[in-house]
Amino acid sequence: MSTTNGKVLNRYHVIFLAQSIMVGTGILSLPQKLSSMGYAQTFMPLLFGLLATLTAFAMVWLCSKFPNDDLFRMNEKLLGKWVGRLINFLIIIQFIVFSAGIISNYMHLIQSTALQEQTITLPVLCFLLLLIYIVSGGIKSIARFSVMTFFITIWIIYFTRWAIEKGDPSHFFPLFNFTSKEFFEAIKQGYFSILGYELILFYFPFIIDQKKAFRHSLIGIWISIFLCFITTAISVMYYSEWQLKRVEFSVLNLFKAGEFTFIERIDIIGITLWVFLILSSVTAYVWCAKRGVDTLFTKKKKQNYPLYVITIIIFVIIRMPFSREFQEKLFLASNYVGYLIVIWPVFLIIIYTLRKKQVQV
Amino acid sequence: MRKKRLCIISFFVLVLLVGCSRKELKVPLEDVGMVDSMAFDYIDENQMKLTVAIPQYSPEAKKNTQIFSITTDLVSSGIVEIEKQSDKKIVFNQLRVVLVNEDFARKGDIRKIIQHLYRNAEVGNKVLIAVVKDNAEAILKADYPDKPSINFYLNNLLEPSINTAFNPNTNIHDFMYTITNPVFDTVLPFIEKRGEKLEVNGVAVFKGNRMHELIKPEEALVIQALSGRKNLAPLHLDLNAGHGEEKLMIDLIESTVKKVSNKNIESPKLTIFLKIKGTLSEYKGERESQLITTESISELEKDVNKQLEKNIGEFLERLNNMEVDPAGLSEEFRMYYYGEWTTEKTRDLIRKLDIKLHVETSIISTGTLK
Amino acid sequence: MNKIPEQIVAKIKQEIDKVDDVKLKMVATEEGDVTVIYFSSLIEKMTLQTMVTIPLANNLKQIHQMAQYVDPKDIQGVVKKLNAGQTLLFFHEVNALLSVDTYSAPTRAITDTETESTVIGPQDAFTESLETNISLVRRRIQSSMLKNENHIVGSETNIKISIMYMENIVSHSNLDDLRNRIDQVDYPLFTDISVLKQLIEDNPLSPFPQYYMTVRPDSICRYLLDGRIVIFMDNSQLAIVCPTSFFEMFVSIEDYYNRWTTASLLRMLRFFGFFLTIMITPMYISALTFHPEILPYELLLNLQESRSKVPFPPLIEVLFIELIIEVLREAGSRMPAKVGQTIGIVGGIVIGTAAVEAGLLSNILIVLVATSALLSFLPPIFLMSNTSRFIRYIFILSAGLFGLFGQMLAFAWLIHHLLSLKSLGTHYMTPAIPRKPTDLLDNVIRFPTKYLKNKSGISKAQKK
Repeated sequence: MSTTNGKVLNRYHVIFLAQSIMVGTGILSLPQKLSSMGYAQTFMPLLFGLLATLTAFAMVWLCSKFPNDDLFRMNEKLLGKWVGRLINFLIIIQFIVFSAGIISNYMHLIQSTALQEQTITLPVLCFLLLLIYIVSGGIKSIARFSVMTFFITIWIIYFTRWAIEKGDPSHFFPLFNFTSKEFFEAIKQGYFSILGYELILFYFPFIIDQKKAFRHSLIGIWISIFLCFITTAISVMYYSEWQLKRVEFSVLNLFKAGEFTFIERIDIIGITLWVFLILSSVTAYVWCAKRGVDTLFTKKKKQNYPLYVITIIIFVIIRMPFSREFQEKLFLASNYVGYLIVIWPVFLIIIYTLRKKQVQV
Repeated sequence: MRKKRLCIISFFVLVLLVGCSRKELKVPLEDVGMVDSMAFDYIDENQMKLTVAIPQYSPEAKKNTQIFSITTDLVSSGIVEIEKQSDKKIVFNQLRVVLVNEDFARKGDIRKIIQHLYRNAEVGNKVLIAVVKDNAEAILKADYPDKPSINFYLNNLLEPSINTAFNPNTNIHDFMYTITNPVFDTVLPFIEKRGEKLEVNGVAVFKGNRMHELIKPEEALVIQALSGRKNLAPLHLDLNAGHGEEKLMIDLIESTVKKVSNKNIESPKLTIFLKIKGTLSEYKGERESQLITTESISELEKDVNKQLEKNIGEFLERLNNMEVDPAGLSEEFRMYYYGEWTTEKTRDLIRKLDIKLHVETSIISTGTLK
Repeated sequence: MNKIPEQIVAKIKQEIDKVDDVKLKMVATEEGDVTVIYFSSLIEKMTLQTMVTIPLANNLKQIHQMAQYVDPKDIQGVVKKLNAGQTLLFFHEVNALLSVDTYSAPTRAITDTETESTVIGPQDAFTESLETNISLVRRRIQSSMLKNENHIVGSETNIKISIMYMENIVSHSNLDDLRNRIDQVDYPLFTDISVLKQLIEDNPLSPFPQYYMTVRPDSICRYLLDGRIVIFMDNSQLAIVCPTSFFEMFVSIEDYYNRWTTASLLRMLRFFGFFLTIMITPMYISALTFHPEILPYELLLNLQESRSKVPFPPLIEVLFIELIIEVLREAGSRMPAKVGQTIGIVGGIVIGTAAVEAGLLSNILIVLVATSALLSFLPPIFLMSNTSRFIRYIFILSAGLFGLFGQMLAFAWLIHHLLSLKSLGTHYMTPAIPRKPTDLLDNVIRFPTKYLKNKSGISKAQKK
């Protein structure tokens, strides 16, 4: 299994891992999340891209100091065994909840569009089976899946053609028409749509060409950012501000604008095809969680039991009779914790510089 | 090895699960009644009459459309009532036409109804909305002996075609877009029943959420031209410019519009450059024999320009006095305004708006006969 | 001293007891008595005469030149030789056992290929004789770099296989890997090379064939020169090519004989045909049960009308007709050719038309199923077309479960499965994630021949 074989990820893998993990459910509702800025949201993804570049730089710098360790080991090395383990445990929980959030979000979307009047227990179950199948192949298998995902799904951009035709480019103006309050609200709400690149902290040890890892991840990040930018730009052109605020999954309605003679509802094709994107990002998170459990508990690696347990926990979180409200809160909280993980390397870098002499790499 | 085992297990689980899903399988296609057209009639503030038309495929049935009518206060409760009468499950995924009668458009809350449909993920984007004179129910229920079914008739009538290019073809997205966008006022096609035929004979202009005015097709064409539509309906023009009464028809090939604003919302000024290209398809009047040289044609073009500027100017003046902006002219000012744009600003601006028009017609041919 | 030879003959006799086609003859020659032992069923009379009988009588020198000495104490080895069609000569006087290779079992002539026929290109196909097959390849590649290693597999059948490769091109790590795998094979019966193939595949549980199999010598030569390894087996018409990729399952050697435009068109047809054939009928189920809104309105009304008489849900309807098609196909291929035609007509007319009229199926479905059945026969590799039919059932079931979402899940499964498959240690989806940029020149689009000089990345060919 490739999980223990050392370096397995070539540059294409690195590019598309970063790219595919970032594009999950977030992009579907990105224009809605940014809607506090109204029409001025168009260029927000580019700003996010800059932020992502900065934080990714911190991450890769930190990783390059520990070329053979992932964040879990770094935590233990830098913060001491017990504090590190506690943090690792929290990170694992975060990843599990975060993946559950993505899946649950997507499944409810499926339920409201493609599988109306059906319970989603079975679809979730099948989805998770596939998830286990992919994750048990290790990070390389996920990476290869991500590469394919990109090429299988990228052509749905074409479906926004009709929305572009109908849209009004004058909506872009005036360019910077927002208040600082709206701006920070939009950052808070919207940034989690592009989370995902932080996982390089975990798969960095598997990268073959670690010196160029930053450049390759950046390519991936900016492909995603560009996709986000297209999404917001087309949404801004196509919708009124009221619609931007109210239409939850604006990408879906963008697809609705078009039709072929033989297929009338492209949104359904689009949303079901989206399962590839969801799979590629969730598998990466679950893989990281599994590695976390491996470093935390088991002595022998190569066991798949943690994976099964993680999947069962995810299933329980999604399908347990928690109130919808509790679930929403949980997922929202995990989004904010996601921001913490993005910032975390900066904190670790500070500790690293302070304790440089004590820590033996 | 574990992976392979997993693969096999998942396959069998999948096979087994197909069995489980039987009981919650959805209604098969043949037992579904796909609503094609809906009509809303105004009764009073709380009540409306909801009529739905469902195409019927069974050759045994005498009529090819099932029509159900119900008085209700909410759309969805009306549907529940209709389902009680119907032998099929009512679904909206092939909804094509929504008709609203004039009373409803003027007094009722049409936005609420459309928003309800817009919210429903089942409903596609192809839903065309139209306002109907008098009674919408009657239109669905009437007999059209030479048409296969009311559903196709209505749908084809409202769909874009070059000769009815004044028709805004408002679909559900356009409706929601214009009604929620402060710089726009919604326009809907207006249908009237004449004998055994239906006719799109105007456009209903909204002010806010209510219908405000009915305008003629020629004027509606202006709205379409100003909002940037490329292909327009043939233009019929009456000239009286020193050559006696002239009538002419121009087949428009392409029109482009450019709007330049002075970016000042206190004393707004807007200059509109409208370029139209077309062929002179028919002409009746004094100059008929002269229209073979380029000079005479360019003279005609100038006359046409003047006449058009006059017509459009008058029409825009009328719209400005009504404080409605169906062509979205105020967008030219919003683009340069920092801060939140509101409907009140649009009304204010339109009232004060000073429009300058430059029409440039070019008749590129007069047909193949000299 | 005199008794020992008798003993050996007796032992051999004991070993071949009740084997009636073994002939034992005593012949008196210049060097005393000679016992001649051979299988009459493996050796033609003419061969025996020219190789053994006449030299024994006239020219013993010739025998000594041709024959090999065999250790008479190794009875097992002796019997093996006998089984392989050699004639044993036992010289009583000098107490020596010699063997002469007289294997000359009747073989059939080289004929046209029936399973992989092409319009353009050579028409000869491999036969069941290993010698003939190797000769068919060798006459095309006249190079001493073309090696063939013989191995024996099968603990009971003792089948001879031959591994062929170009010494200067092939990747030796691949070769070692393959040798290892063949060494580890422990299976008694090899009736065809397909059995061996399944034993040395990377993932024997996968529905996908992981090695290319063909009966066309020209195809084999192409792959040999690309650096692949080819395995022949005696008594088996097919030859294995490994490693191979998913995409190569849609490549016919005729593509290289056609104009590049035609070839590209056909390849696209085959490649996308594979995905269509697994998607068409599931799509019908999804659209009818879950998402009627994706179909155009007019079509939907037609469907409603034709479905109105059908008593089953779409899933059962599709499974029913798909199974009927399978039955027809299977019956057609098992029947003698003349009866088979009748079956085709019966199936086509009776089941097609009558089922619709009886209200068992909707006529649109018949069109779809017929199309997808035809599409499934597009891949030039028969195993692949079988696979596509199997995969289709997975898609049908998942469409029955969750409609389009189920189909996409199944598609994700398929993609992941293909991505994780390997053929002799090389990734099966190689051209999709190219090992070499030049692979793309000979992909779904086949570029003009002058651009195709490069070896494909999949064979890991040695650099010159």
